[in-house]
Amino acid sequence: MNDRHRALGRGGLGAVMGAKKLKAIAVRGSKKVSVADAEKLDFIVYEAGKWIKAHPITSQGLPEFGTPVLVNLFNGLGVFPARNFQASQFPGAAKISGEAIAETISAGRQGCHDCPVQCTRLIKTPHTGITAGPEYESIWALGPECGIDDLGVIAEANHLCNRLGLDTVSTGVTIGCAMELVEKEILKEGPTFGDAAGLPQLVKQIAYREGTGNLLAEGSRRLAGKFGAGQYAMQVKGLELPAYDPRGLQGMGLGFATSNRGGCHLRAYMAGPEALGVPKMVDRFSTGGKAGLVINQQNINAAIDSLIACRFINMTVSEEYFARILSAATGVDYSPQDLYRIGERIWNLERLFNLRADLDSSFDTLPPRLLEEPVSEGPSRGKTVELKTMLAEYYRFRGWDESGTPLPKKLQELELEW
Amino acid sequence: MLKDFQKFGRDLFLAGLNSSHSGNLSVRCGDRVIITRRGAMLGHLEGRDLIETGLEKNDSNIILASTEIRVHRAIYKGTTALAIVHAHPVHAIALSLLEDEIIPLDSEGAYLLHKVPVLSAEHTIGSKELEEKLPALLKEYKIVMIRGHGSFAVGQVLEEAYQWTSCLEHSCRITCLTHTFKYNLQVKDTSRYRRW
Repeated sequence: MNDRHRALGRGGLGAVMGAKKLKAIAVRGSKKVSVADAEKLDFIVYEAGKWIKAHPITSQGLPEFGTPVLVNLFNGLGVFPARNFQASQFPGAAKISGEAIAETISAGRQGCHDCPVQCTRLIKTPHTGITAGPEYESIWALGPECGIDDLGVIAEANHLCNRLGLDTVSTGVTIGCAMELVEKEILKEGPTFGDAAGLPQLVKQIAYREGTGNLLAEGSRRLAGKFGAGQYAMQVKGLELPAYDPRGLQGMGLGFATSNRGGCHLRAYMAGPEALGVPKMVDRFSTGGKAGLVINQQNINAAIDSLIACRFINMTVSEEYFARILSAATGVDYSPQDLYRIGERIWNLERLFNLRADLDSSFDTLPPRLLEEPVSEGPSRGKTVELKTMLAEYYRFRGWDESGTPLPKKLQELELEW
Repeated sequence: MLKDFQKFGRDLFLAGLNSSHSGNLSVRCGDRVIITRRGAMLGHLEGRDLIETGLEKNDSNIILASTEIRVHRAIYKGTTALAIVHAHPVHAIALSLLEDEIIPLDSEGAYLLHKVPVLSAEHTIGSKELEEKLPALLKEYKIVMIRGHGSFAVGQVLEEAYQWTSCLEHSCRITCLTHTFKYNLQVKDTSRYRRW
């Protein structure tokens, strides 16, 4: 956890720290941070601030509702998965939305130091006291993914995950997977869809590897694999998928499949252009041009992550601002193109690491449900992810061969030929 | 309703009153506002480009609404308007950089608009300052210019607000042309309109 409430949850960092018996890292500064050109930096921050204060996402939506602002919106678009991705809309969405939180359990807002957005929701419930969250992804994973629409229980389960060092998304999706295995009678005993009362206890059982929790603690891939039912694990490269049904957001599907760390929405947030009009609205059902957009997002996001900058600000101001800020802070000139190149180097390096770890192109895929089972109703009705076409284009545009290995020419270009 | 938005959005763009992605339109329906999507192309509006949100309260659709939503809401709450057109008319913007108020020289402009105030603000896009200042002016005037930014026009229907926008730009073109020709103006003194 960072700043008390912000979880570095995804990808198993908590497990790694636990294995190393590392409880926490404390950082204390004793010197002032200096920048190369403070006047220039002030001017760029002022200009960025104009957009942040004007843009409805950062000036109204996030400050008022936090990330749960997305619940009703994505449910309405039919890209809000439910019951282990068996549906793309959830009837109880309004009860667990940003609006519902504001009207029921909200206890104010908070944010990172000096941030004008202040997107963190403080909540108060009998089981959590005053705490932060749950965020959009956590609401979804511990709610609709498990067929649950009880906001109090979702908040409690989210709070428990944060205290116990569990990733809310992986926890919820693994529970959702178990629920489907029970529904299909593959798993004899276990949680069932909609069982809100049993959720907090199950989270504790996973953390302490007790009872059914011991099975679920392995994650959805190993859980479903143990019963020869891997198709019901909604994961990519072992990381559980987050709160977007890619059958209604084709680019998001390609982003999930090609993410170096597995099922992650933050490597290429294609819901931006496909649903939120950031930076521009594109046809969410179309596959044309999506490979290029995903590659650009993966590259620039890798660079912006290296700046330790917030992704929400990236929804409001373009990479040009980040390049200028970096230049002013360091005294070294960076252009937006430089950031793309830095990001592309990071992306290719990660890919090379994965290939050495035997994570080859066979892992650049999605759960069969998303490729083969059309959405049965709602705005995304009849859609599956058309991954094959997009993936071939993706490899070609990346300068990789057909098996997804970076070509020597590309590595030479990026000065990574070692 | 979509047809109206499409018609006036297209006309605004084709008449050069907006660039490809600038400007926004809205109508008030009781305690709801229907406004064009943030970043929508007014010349090519589709169903997904009309965003409904609350007049008083935000809901999740707010993140799709035009960046000027706060100004539109303030205008609806402070005036009797039921429709708003926000445009970026080139000649009117040029004059707004020179004048504190625009007095049309031509008959149509003089008859319909009399005088158009020019409002200055430090931040001119999605601005709280405009949210506070603009409604009071639009109680008195059909259309107001934001210096260096564009116009906000009100009406009972979109066509009315569109008319004031079109009329203002037409008048401003005439004013710019007369300034360009540098002849002595042969019209009566227009300074009385400054008292409008």
